[in-house]
Amino acid sequence: MANLTQSTASRLARRIGDRGPVREFLMFALAGELYGVELTRIKEILSPPPITVVPRAPRNVVGVCSVRGLLVTVLDLRRTLHLEERPLTRRGRILLGAAESGEVIGLLVDEVRHVVRLAATEIEPAASALGGDVSEFVLGIGRPAGEFLILIDLPSVVSG
Amino acid sequence: MAELSDKAREEFFSEAQEIIETLSRNLLSLDSTLKAGISDPSLINEAFRAVHTLKGLAGLFGAARLGALSHRLEDVLDDLRLGRIELGQGVLDVLFGTVDAYTRILQAEKSDSDEELDVEQLFAELERIGAGATEHESPVTGYELDPGLLAVLTEYEEHRLRANIDLQMQLYRLRVQFDLSTIDKVLEDMKERAKRHGEIITYLPTGEATSADTIELDLLMASRDDLATLIGSLGADNVVIEEIPRRARRSHPATVPPRRPTALGRADSVHLQPDLERAGLEPAASLRSLTQTVRVDIRKLDHLMNIVGELAIVRSAFGRVAEKLRGEGQRKLAAELQRLHRNFDRRLGEMQDGILEVRMVPLGQVFDRLARVVRQISREVGKEIRLVITGAETEIDKLIVEELSDPLMHMIRNAIDHGIEPGQGRVEVGKPLAGTIALNAFQKGNHVMIEVEDDGRGIDLSKLTEKAITLGKLSRSEAQEMSRDEVLALIFLPGLSTRESADNTSGRGVGMDIVKTNISKLGGVIDVHSETGIGTKMTITLPITLAIVSALLIQAGKHTLAIPLSSVSEAIAFEEAAVRLVDGREVITLRGQTLPLCRLDRLMGLEIAPDFASRRRFVVVAALGQRRLGLVVDFLYGQEDIVIKPLGKSLSGVRGFAGATELGDQRVGLVLDAASLIEEVLAGIEAPRMLERARG
Repeated sequence: MANLTQSTASRLARRIGDRGPVREFLMFALAGELYGVELTRIKEILSPPPITVVPRAPRNVVGVCSVRGLLVTVLDLRRTLHLEERPLTRRGRILLGAAESGEVIGLLVDEVRHVVRLAATEIEPAASALGGDVSEFVLGIGRPAGEFLILIDLPSVVSG
Repeated sequence: MAELSDKAREEFFSEAQEIIETLSRNLLSLDSTLKAGISDPSLINEAFRAVHTLKGLAGLFGAARLGALSHRLEDVLDDLRLGRIELGQGVLDVLFGTVDAYTRILQAEKSDSDEELDVEQLFAELERIGAGATEHESPVTGYELDPGLLAVLTEYEEHRLRANIDLQMQLYRLRVQFDLSTIDKVLEDMKERAKRHGEIITYLPTGEATSADTIELDLLMASRDDLATLIGSLGADNVVIEEIPRRARRSHPATVPPRRPTALGRADSVHLQPDLERAGLEPAASLRSLTQTVRVDIRKLDHLMNIVGELAIVRSAFGRVAEKLRGEGQRKLAAELQRLHRNFDRRLGEMQDGILEVRMVPLGQVFDRLARVVRQISREVGKEIRLVITGAETEIDKLIVEELSDPLMHMIRNAIDHGIEPGQGRVEVGKPLAGTIALNAFQKGNHVMIEVEDDGRGIDLSKLTEKAITLGKLSRSEAQEMSRDEVLALIFLPGLSTRESADNTSGRGVGMDIVKTNISKLGGVIDVHSETGIGTKMTITLPITLAIVSALLIQAGKHTLAIPLSSVSEAIAFEEAAVRLVDGREVITLRGQTLPLCRLDRLMGLEIAPDFASRRRFVVVAALGQRRLGLVVDFLYGQEDIVIKPLGKSLSGVRGFAGATELGDQRVGLVLDAASLIEEVLAGIEAPRMLERARG
């Protein structure tokens, strides 16, 4: 047991030494692309409950729903990111995260995939990858094992 | 401040707060009695006791600043009640200053800030007043009179006592044994005989008697004759006469009347623990609480209310299950469940009422604070103001009371500053020198109305329109078309104040627009009436509670919406044919009155639901204050008790909704905000262009 733990630790240490600090991202699909959001920003993943449309709300707000008595404002990430709109399928999920104001916000996504671990070397900063004039929502591009992942900054999405 | 548990701290703060409020109330009463030329020593005594308690409390909790102030204030109040200082407006000003200082100190203690509070000047003033104390003593305290006796003297008896002392009469105590069967006659007889020498001021049972048939009384008598003469004239076997000596020195601590009267001159009742007795407290009383009350954090009540709300949802589910069972032919079970449902419903209702009742507090809490403000401002600006308060006992949700104090304070500042004319100006137009501000509260159905009324010069409509034009809020031609009420409503636009120069009271940034915003946040509306030369009256209409509301569930387009019943006056069937167009606006006639209509689906841009398109529709009449609006809706579901949850920050810009509520079956329904809808639609009718500009 002690040996095993030690070897795991040393393996981890080697990996971190090799690749720099590792961050975990939740990978999800949206309009045919793969996106990632830092796992620590997500409180919960939900199957969408009935959502009540709020008239006169900002365009990117789908509406409100209740999560065990808590009132949650749901944003359509497609609208925020100026993507083509499409009705949800049964794979659609809501990611719950907190805005800086403390308000709990739900983000509507097409499908949740899995968690990926990205070292700093596997993340291209947005500015260098896409040029200077890039949306504030995009943190950078992640390239784990040949995949292409758009990493978004949750606080600026929910607060914007 | 010493380390304490949060709970103990909370207790300390709220108790200190209460005491300070008591002190403030006493000072206000003192102020008004002083103005009326009466002196009421019990008020000073009460204030003294309050401060004494506060001093003890501060010591207990290690709140040094609070203790220091209390100590100095206590000394001054002590001098006051013993007549060493005369009570005047100047002294009262300083005393009122201590209330403010207390409030600041308390706030600093609460936030654990060690910030230097500028109380030195106040201390110096207290010192100065104290230094003015004369060695001359109040005549009554110059005698070794039992405080218990002083406490039970009637006003007349006290007056007689003072009068006799002023006439240099000597005071005597006559201890007399009476036979119970003949006491009336003998006592009368004795009074008669005493008249030759002076007068019997009062008498009090000593509680000691030699047998069951007798009663012992102490008679307080004033006479110009000496003891020997009196003994010669009145003395008998059953009468013992003593002279009441004058007090030897000033430093001898006189006592505050204790709450329970004791017999006259009973030596054993006097010297307990001097300090406690000074405050008129019995030793035990300081250790345990005198009242059967607990203080509760309002958030705990909110939490309970939320649970009740959740239970209400469970209750609805019961109802649905019962219906379902009936539908499946399980009649017996269904009936049983129905019975349980009804029972549950009733108990839940009682619980809800109970919690609501706990949240209710009298408006007097905020009125007291306002009375202090009135006094302060009136002295600042040199206008004499009479504040008349009615309905202070009217109860309203604690949270609303907290939010009311700023708007009301501003309205009162406005009334004193802009409304009430300077003294000479009033006399010239035949009004009494002192301006009157009336603060009236009363309940009207599910609402509480608060009126702030002054008898000043009224709002100058032409000045108001001029100002609005100068600020670019409206054009000259628009101004000409406006009705009187529309012009009055201009005061609620941002940036309008009828005074040219901002001064240190009303001109300080906040305007009536902020007042209006704050009132609407509470679900209320504000109306203004003003007559030139006669006065201005502002009326605030507020819901009684914010926690749980009865609402009407309606369908509009694809939306199930709730509208608080408190703002609904009735619902009627809608007839398309009855709609008239006035200046492009839809109205119907309801019992001879014009009712503006608002089609909710159009106003909100709601999707039309095909199910309801062909059906009969309804008009829900929303009414707040004087204003009414007919909301055209597709269906009425009925009444439901709901807990309103506020929409998140990201939806704070959305107008027309007070929040959302759970409808059961996981769905969320939006709650309409009648006040803002009425505002939006009627303001649109009253002055559309004006509002556009105000918003832009």
